Order: sequence, then C-alpha cells, then structure tokens
Amino acid sequence: MGIGRYTIRRILQTIPVLVGIVTITFFLTDAIPGDPVQIMLGPSPSARDIELVRAKYGLDKPLWVRYINYLADVSPIWLWPKATFPFVELQTGVDLGKSIYYSVPVTQKIMERLPVTLLLVASAFVFAIVTAIPLGVLSAKRRNKPTDHVARVVSLIGVSTPSFWIGLMLIIVFAYHLDVLPATGLILPWANPAEVSGAENRIHILMLSFIHLIMPTITLGTLQMAAITRIERSSMLENLSEEYVRLARAYGVRERTILRKHAFRPAQLPIITIIGLNLTAALGGSVLTEVVFNINGMGRLIITAINNQDYPLVMGTTIYYGMVFVIGVIVTDISYAYIDPRVSYGEAEA
Amino acid sequence: MTKDKFEKLTEINRRRLMKGIAGVSAASMAGCIDQFGGSEGGTLNFAQEKSPIEFDPVVLNDVPSAEICQYVYHGLYEYDDTTGHVPALATDMPEVNDAQDEYVVEIDGDAEFHNGEPVTAEDVKHSFMAPLEEETDNANEVSMINSIDVVDEQTVQFNLEYAYAPFTYTLHRNIVPKAARTDDKEAFNTENPIGSGPFEFVDWTEGEFVEIERWDDYWGDTQPNLQTVEFTPVEEGTTRITTLQNGDNDVIKGIPPDLWSEVEGMDDASIQQVAGVGYFYLAFNCNDGPTTDPTVRQAIDHVFDMDQAVSNFVEPTGVRQYSPYPQVLIDEWDFPIDEWKSHHNEKDIDKAKQLFDEAGVSMDYDWRIIVPPDDKREQIGVTVSNGLQEAGFSNTEVQRLDWGAFLSQYITGNADDYNMYTLGWSGVPDPDSFAYFLLSRAEDTLAITNGTYWGENSDKGVQASEKFIEARSSDDFDERRQLYIEGTNLVMEGKPHIPAYSLKNSFGVRSNVSDFAAHPTDQFHLVSDHNNVSLDE
Repeated sequence: MGIGRYTIRRILQTIPVLVGIVTITFFLTDAIPGDPVQIMLGPSPSARDIELVRAKYGLDKPLWVRYINYLADVSPIWLWPKATFPFVELQTGVDLGKSIYYSVPVTQKIMERLPVTLLLVASAFVFAIVTAIPLGVLSAKRRNKPTDHVARVVSLIGVSTPSFWIGLMLIIVFAYHLDVLPATGLILPWANPAEVSGAENRIHILMLSFIHLIMPTITLGTLQMAAITRIERSSMLENLSEEYVRLARAYGVRERTILRKHAFRPAQLPIITIIGLNLTAALGGSVLTEVVFNINGMGRLIITAINNQDYPLVMGTTIYYGMVFVIGVIVTDISYAYIDPRVSYGEAEA
Repeated sequence: MTKDKFEKLTEINRRRLMKGIAGVSAASMAGCIDQFGGSEGGTLNFAQEKSPIEFDPVVLNDVPSAEICQYVYHGLYEYDDTTGHVPALATDMPEVNDAQDEYVVEIDGDAEFHNGEPVTAEDVKHSFMAPLEEETDNANEVSMINSIDVVDEQTVQFNLEYAYAPFTYTLHRNIVPKAARTDDKEAFNTENPIGSGPFEFVDWTEGEFVEIERWDDYWGDTQPNLQTVEFTPVEEGTTRITTLQNGDNDVIKGIPPDLWSEVEGMDDASIQQVAGVGYFYLAFNCNDGPTTDPTVRQAIDHVFDMDQAVSNFVEPTGVRQYSPYPQVLIDEWDFPIDEWKSHHNEKDIDKAKQLFDEAGVSMDYDWRIIVPPDDKREQIGVTVSNGLQEAGFSNTEVQRLDWGAFLSQYITGNADDYNMYTLGWSGVPDPDSFAYFLLSRAEDTLAITNGTYWGENSDKGVQASEKFIEARSSDDFDERRQLYIEGTNLVMEGKPHIPAYSLKNSFGVRSNVSDFAAHPTDQFHLVSDHNNVSLDE
C-alpha cells in the first residue's frame, strides 16, 4: 500500500471516531446536572419564562429527537425521510447550532477563537522542541555528569509543576515586579497593523505578538519541554548503546558524527509520537493558560460554555478539539510512516 | 487594543516617556478644566471581571454588559450618588395616581440619540414593551406593566397590572431608539448600539475589549472629561491586579480578599469601595428533614459564629449583615437593626447539643450543605459543617455545585438534596427586592422561596409573606415600613435564613484617575450629576 492509500484509509477511519465523539459528547453534556435555562434566567424565573426559553432553544424536545437532529446538523451530508418521491431529502453542510449564551452560531465563535489557541499551542511546541532536544541530547551525551543531573532535575520540575502556577509566577515576577512583559492578551501575527494602536507595520505586529507570547508559551510549553527532554534523553541513550554505534566507534568514526548521523535521527521517532500524543495535554493546558493570561482562545470559550451550560457550545468546542486531536494523530502516524522506512503501510510483511 | 500598546510593550523607558508626553499634550491641547475641576481628554483603561456579551438593553441580562450600557444609554431616571432618583431623560419625577398603578412621565424635549433622532414617547414605550413582546430573558423585570399609553410626543403613561411601590426603579431601564433597533436588531445589539448617553459605542471584540468614546454633541448638562473608555475583561484576580500595578489598566473592578492588602500597599493606586445593595445568607430547607423544626435551626445557629465566619472569609471585601436588608436600606428606612441584631447567636456548642437533643435529631443524621461555585459561600458552608461535627455529628457534607446544578437542586425541597444552602441576592434599593422576592409566598416568587419553603408549613412564614405582599402595593411609606418591620421580626424569629453579609463594590484605582466614584447599585459612576472622571498627567 502506498502512502497515498494509507493516508486515505487513515482519514476514513476517523469517521466512526468522530461519530463516537459527537455521540459521547452529546449524551455526556445532557447528563451534566443542572439546567442551562436556570442559569440564563437566574434564580427567579417563572414557569412560563422557563417554558419559552426551553422551546426557543429546542430543549423541550425528547433527548433522542435532539440527538438525531444534532447528528444531522453536524454531518456534512444527511438524508431525511420524506413522504413524497424521491422519499429522501438531502441536507448538506455542518451546523453546530447557536450558542445559548452568546446568541451567535457556535461555528462563528469557534472560528474566532481557534486560531488563537492553535497559535499558542504551536508556539508552546516550538519552544518545547527547541529547548528539549538539545537538552536531551546533551544530557545523554554527558550521562551521569553535572549537565545530565541539571537536565534531569529541570525536566522533573517541568513535569511536576502545574502550568497555572508557572503562569502566575511568571506574571508576578516579569509583569508585576519587573514590568518587562505584558500580563494579558495576545496579538495575532496576522493582525492588521491599522487596528493595533501604536503598531505602524508588520514588523511592529510581529514584535508585539512575540512579546505577548513569551510568558504563555513558557507556561504551556514547560510540561511539553520536560516530557520531550526525558524521552529524547532515553531514546538517545538507547541508540548510543546499539551495536551499529559501537561498530562505528570501533571503526574510529568521530563521536560528533556518530551522535549526529547514527544516533540522533533514529532517536527522533519517539519524539514525533510524544508530540502527537501530547497535543491533547497541550490543548487541555491551554484552558488554564488562557485564563491566567486573559487570552481570548478556545480554552476560555470552553470555560464559559461549561459555566453557563451552553449545550451547543460545549458540544461544538469538544467536537473541534476532538477533530484537532484526530488530525494530530493522523499527521503523526503518516509522518512516522514516512520518516521510518521500517514502518509498513499495512501490507503483510514479505 | 490599548492605546500606545506598542510603545508600552516594546520599550519601557520609551513607554513612560510617551505616556508623559501624551499626558502633557492632552492637557495642553484641551487646555480647560471642567466644572468638577478635572482636565479633559485621555483614555481610561478599565478592567472588568467578565466580558460583556451584548449591548441592547431590551435583551441584555448580565452585569458586565450593563456596566457599559449605562454610559451609552440613559434611562428616564438614574441614581444619584447613593440610591435616590434623579431625572435623566425625564423632566421631573413621575406623576403617580392614588392607586399607585399609573405613572406619567414627561420626556426632556432636548434629549436625542447618537443618530440625531429625538427621544420620543414611542421610543420609551418600545423600550419597556419589547421585552414582553419579544419574550426576552429579562422580561420579568417589566412584567408588572400592563400597557403603556403614548399621551403625546413627549409624554408617556405606564399602566401597571397591580400597584407596585418600587416602580420608579423600573423606570431606570435604558431607552433605545425604536426605529434604529427594529431596523436590524442583531446589528443594534452587537455592532451599532445607539443610545442617548454621554458616550458613543465605538468598537467591540468579544472577550477582548469594548471601546466607547465621548459624544461631542451630547445634549445633557455634563460633558464627560474622558475622551475614550476602554473596557477589558480580565478574569483572573492576580492578573487583574498586575494590570493595575503595571499601568495597563487605570481602574480594575473586583479585588479578591487575599489580594486586598496588595492593592492597599500600592504606591500609585488605592481602593475605592462602597457597600453594595445585596444580601448573602445561609438558608434552611424548611420543607423536609430536621431543619423544618425551628429548634434545629436555632441549634445550627449555635454551632458556629457568623460574625467570625464573615470576618475570616469575607472582610474586607464585604460587611456583616444582620437582616435581609443591606445597610443602605437600614439607614434609609430607619429599620430597627439593633433589635434584629439581637437574634444573632454566638457559638455555643453545649447549647446546640441541648437543642438538637430536644428536637430529637439522631447523631447519625447525614447533613448536606450545598453551595454555589464561590469561595466565600463555600467557606461559610464548611464552617457550619465543622460546627456540626463539633456538636457530635460525624456525617456532614459540603457540596460545591456548578451554577446549573445548584439552581436546579436548591429548590427541590428534598432533604436528600440539601438541608442548607448558601445563596446571595441583589436588587433595587427597596425592601421589596429582598422581602417579597426571598421571603413571600406569592406565585411569582415561588421559584426562589421554594428553596426554604418557609411559609408552606409555618404560621410565621404565612404571616410574614402576607405582610410583604401587602407592603409592595401600599402607597404609604410609614405603612410599608411598619409592614416590613413586622414581617422581618417574624423572619428573624423563624430563622428560615441566617443573614451573613453583603459585598462591597470595590475598585483598584490608579492615582492618575480623579473623581472616580464607586456606587452601591450602578457599580461605578464615570460621569454623572455628582462626578466627572478625568485623567491627570
């Protein structure tokens, strides 16, 4: 099987996964104790007001009817039965419904917020990779020496420290006391300079964006950095102890060449896996990071949705996070298969 | 986006220089001092606790949005520096008939909207009737209105379903231009709100900022000093305080108790505070379980000391309250607070044990206290729970619930769901807001009072309810006062609630901000008949 067919097969496999995500999300959201109408109307609604609002958002219908309707709405293609020929009616397009809290389409709200979170997560991974890989390699190369001990302690602290605490500490030191970094907000690199006061051109915007990203990136990226450092170190140690490396040493190949050519490349395969899997942790971590730094991304949207039991928004955001994760896993699988010639595309080994 | 953001963030020294220059040039360009002594111009950066979500007063139902709308719109009446009424769009106070169910209001002929259209009686009628006709989420705020007659272009008559003494507070509702709103309600709500207030709506990005700008053609007497106000939601307390410290914001709303001293200690910022019009309390399930017995409620009042709990967990962000009425009402209505205060019990575990024994409550009983997602109220719940354990009960549980779950559960009246709960209430500065809605058994209040069900099985509850219902339709102040006192005496004896505290409206204000005024009901005033905020250099 070629990589093209493999990719198509992996994409098709996501359909039942996404249906599963929609189904589980729908029923779990409905099972949350409480009533969005109560939250919306506060502790003083009349029975009539409750009825009216319930009908307005379709919450007065039976659960299974709401489920079928929702499944039809979120499916790109759906066939409804019809009394007249051709007895089915085609419904196309994805509609995640209207947010109860914001009174706007859920998709609109997600499209506003998703780029912010993706930027944050991407920058966190860039930070993590750029710092963790050299640290892991150095740690492996100087095993049981002071550098290794420092790297291990740093990664241990990174793995065990809650990200919101790191964020608050950064704010207290760099924003509150030193006043050198902004405590809140995020400026997108693609923002229009005309809409950002004081920024005259794209360079200004990029600088502002970079400055605003520093603390949130460290907050969100520290856990990833620590995890990758640990994997990189152990993977490098494993590869450095392989027979072909010892053979290379016996042939008198320079240590630097061995490290770069024979150990480093195969040691990166587990890193790709860990990045793919840690995408979920990073998306989850973005919720707290966005709250601490007042960043208007998906994380704060989810918090608002949950606090207000905004069913359509909770389901919409969860489905999007599910999709992002599924896409992340597929990309990981495909890159894994692409990078490592030993990985088969699913054909039986000869 | 905050003004001068690039300068502020890329180069600290340059930022300070730029701010200085901006301040000097703003003052020199304006070159004038207003009637309150403040200089004109500048942008006030204001951090809210939450993001506003809509700007059409017909539909809006949240505090952050209302905080902004009060400067874009006017009501017929507004609050003075405390809780009194002053005409805004109205020329004078309303004419009220003897039966207290017809209010006639004349509109100021000079009043106009930002689009240049005059404010008419039709606009007023639309602003009050649209929530009922469109069945909006806030329609209950005007549900006492039966109809509105447009007497002439500038005169409107409100016909009420029943006599409603606090109706003048309802007349504080913001007025919208009917034609502009009905032309495109969605755009009016989120893109182009048009009011008659001193500031015009400029721009909004949900979750990021709202910008309002001084309306240079404002028809009213007091032109705002501030050129622009930019509201930014900063939800996390520490982050909000940081933005005050580093000057990103000039004013922040909501100071967490644990950071209060931090703000107090700032060299170039101070705290402005005023007691709010609210009431937080511990309530008992009087429908099911041991707390239906007044003796048990007395016993529980003895297992802890509310004075101590409020001192530990609420102050300095709030003050102890000994009745359902906040201090401002105690003062205005001259209520006998000392008498009500005498119902407060100090902690006395022996006395509590004796009362539990008299009531025959088994020491194996499973106590369940539910609290909403709020640290202060949870801590009060935990204090009660600890007190019950001291009294010998081993099975006590405090459950912190999300709002949705809490609001669904606290009205079931089932002892398996709760024996006690903590809740808060805010309203207009009239005793009706607290007595009628929290403690009467009128049909439209059962959704709230069903938390305690006090009055279902208690003579005192029935009598108190009757007095509170009677008080709202009386046109005589003294009679109303007497009814509230008698009803509240019954409440204090019957103890369906243990009054706890009211919160202050507190703000961190940088020293470059002059004449900022915290307000008991409006949260804060930027420009009014008694203040006009300005920015110093």
